[in-house]
Amino acid sequence: MSARNDGNASSFAGEVRNMAHATAVRVDTSNGMLRVSVQGALTAETVGAARASLVKALPTGGSSAVELNLAQCHELDASGVSIAVFLFRLTKSAGTTFSVTGIDGDRKLLVDLALRGQEPVPAGSPLGLVREVGRASLFIAHDLYDLVRFIGELSIVAAHVATQPRLLRVRDTIGGMARHGTDAVPVVSLLGLLIGTIIAFQTFDPMAKYGAKLQVADVVAISVVRELGPLITAIILAGRSGSAFAAEIGTMKVTQELDALRTFGIDPVRFLVIPRILAVVLVTPLLSVYATILGVAGGYLILGPEGFTLAQYIDEVRQALTIGGFLQGLAKAAVFALLVGAIGCLAGLRTGQGPGAVGLSTTRAVVTGIVSIVVADAILGSFFYALGI
Amino acid sequence: MVQTATATTPNAGQQAVSIALRGVSIGYDKPIVEGIDLEIRSGEIMFVGGGSGCGKTTLLSCMTALRKPLAGSIEIAGVDLAKASEEDIQRVRRKFGVMYQLGALFGGKSLLENVRLPLEEFTDLDDRAMDDIARAKLGLVGLGAHAHKDPSEISGGMQKRAAIARALALDPPIIFLDEPSAGLDPVTSADLDALIVALNRMLGTTFVIISHELASIFAIGHRFAMLDGARKKLVALGAPAELRDHSPDQWVRDFLNRVPTAET
Repeated sequence: MSARNDGNASSFAGEVRNMAHATAVRVDTSNGMLRVSVQGALTAETVGAARASLVKALPTGGSSAVELNLAQCHELDASGVSIAVFLFRLTKSAGTTFSVTGIDGDRKLLVDLALRGQEPVPAGSPLGLVREVGRASLFIAHDLYDLVRFIGELSIVAAHVATQPRLLRVRDTIGGMARHGTDAVPVVSLLGLLIGTIIAFQTFDPMAKYGAKLQVADVVAISVVRELGPLITAIILAGRSGSAFAAEIGTMKVTQELDALRTFGIDPVRFLVIPRILAVVLVTPLLSVYATILGVAGGYLILGPEGFTLAQYIDEVRQALTIGGFLQGLAKAAVFALLVGAIGCLAGLRTGQGPGAVGLSTTRAVVTGIVSIVVADAILGSFFYALGI
Repeated sequence: MVQTATATTPNAGQQAVSIALRGVSIGYDKPIVEGIDLEIRSGEIMFVGGGSGCGKTTLLSCMTALRKPLAGSIEIAGVDLAKASEEDIQRVRRKFGVMYQLGALFGGKSLLENVRLPLEEFTDLDDRAMDDIARAKLGLVGLGAHAHKDPSEISGGMQKRAAIARALALDPPIIFLDEPSAGLDPVTSADLDALIVALNRMLGTTFVIISHELASIFAIGHRFAMLDGARKKLVALGAPAELRDHSPDQWVRDFLNRVPTAET
């Protein structure tokens, strides 16, 4: 394949060869008219090279009109016709006229059909970054608006259910407690125990330097009871339950089950969201207490072999803990559960269309859930500190 | 669409065979239909149909090399799909495109990206050339202005047209369509028929259409191959109107004339 400049600014030519036949693309300009002539076959096999040749030969100056002459084109298929699409879009963006000559019948129909509805080549905009930032800002604003609106709707429905308890789906709530509470016990056990053990293991040597080996129990007790017990439980909750809420409700939306509920006059928030959130809010503090107990026990796995008796360890833990600290952990667990449940359900309700939508909602539920937990932990930690708890 | 769909029967004697089925039995554990002998000619619009459960979709799976027939041979481009190696099957797959019943467009990808995908996988074309080809194919099916839309943003009829554009991506000589009219209103269905006729005439593409949509069969079908699950065989093959009026098989005539069965 070669592209040749004849030396005359008004005439260029390129030639494409393949095994069966040669395809030549000639570009001529005269009187402001750009004429592109194709000789040979314009098919899936030749169109790539023909297009490259044409692009190379196209003059940089503007033309008032562009003509594609296919009189010498002896073979044209549905890929070959993309040359016409290319020139058509180019002329459309330049505001010049475009015509195809030298064909009739089915070939003309093929070209006419292919050109239907084609958009001009988009011009690059120097404001691209500004536009993207604006678009992202609007997206975030829209997300916040949805969240506020959802919280409002949730509050109204929750108040309504509180005044009329028969509206609560008790069976679904209890089922949810079993699924999101009892079923989570094994993983909570493992992580709770390990987290206490790891804290004791990592702090033992530094504390030993100051002769405060037994005070490792204080570090374990305070960090697990106030922070890590509720935090680990909530992160497990986000991974297990938040994602499940988003996937379940999201799938129901995709399969129009939410529409079916609405047409029955059943509010999906009352029917689906309230039982799920209530279940996790009730069960998460219990799980958190359980994780905390195991975490504290995990600390003894390090101190026990160092010669401390269980009675010594428990006595040290008892001295380190306060009722306020314990209640702080419980309150955090309940708030985290509320956040994870609400974010998971909201992600499900906002699920879009298409096969990827449910996956996207699930990811959003987990990521937003975990970020919200950590942010809420920081806020609540500062709040309790200010209160002197 | 730009024109009315009409069937112009190609000259049978002068046409090469595009797909040849010889003694084909299809089914799963047990055969659903046995001994199918069928030659589909190049440039033909061939409908394959029959009652529900007669094995037409299973036959499509066999013809598109997704499953092997229980017996017999299915030859496309000189390769017997029943015995071919995976390498040969991959080569033959470039010779045909398939439009599935629900479009099977890839969600999360625009229509343009859907049509581009086979070009990206199987050609060395540069990025812009692939774009132009994909746009041309979308233009052919009347979706030039919707190139950047997601499949979820367009109607069922448009999804099917986009799926045809994707099937056309590599300019295959054969296109299989599975129930193209299913779930479409009569006007959209007629538009799709007109598109098939236009593509068949302009590009010479062979269309094998799995359908029992009588309006489409009579409007655009050159020939109709009819399977009967009860008798486990191909019971009729010929021009649709000819079969409707003169088939020696009563069941075939009743089916094509929409005569209710005694049970109903």
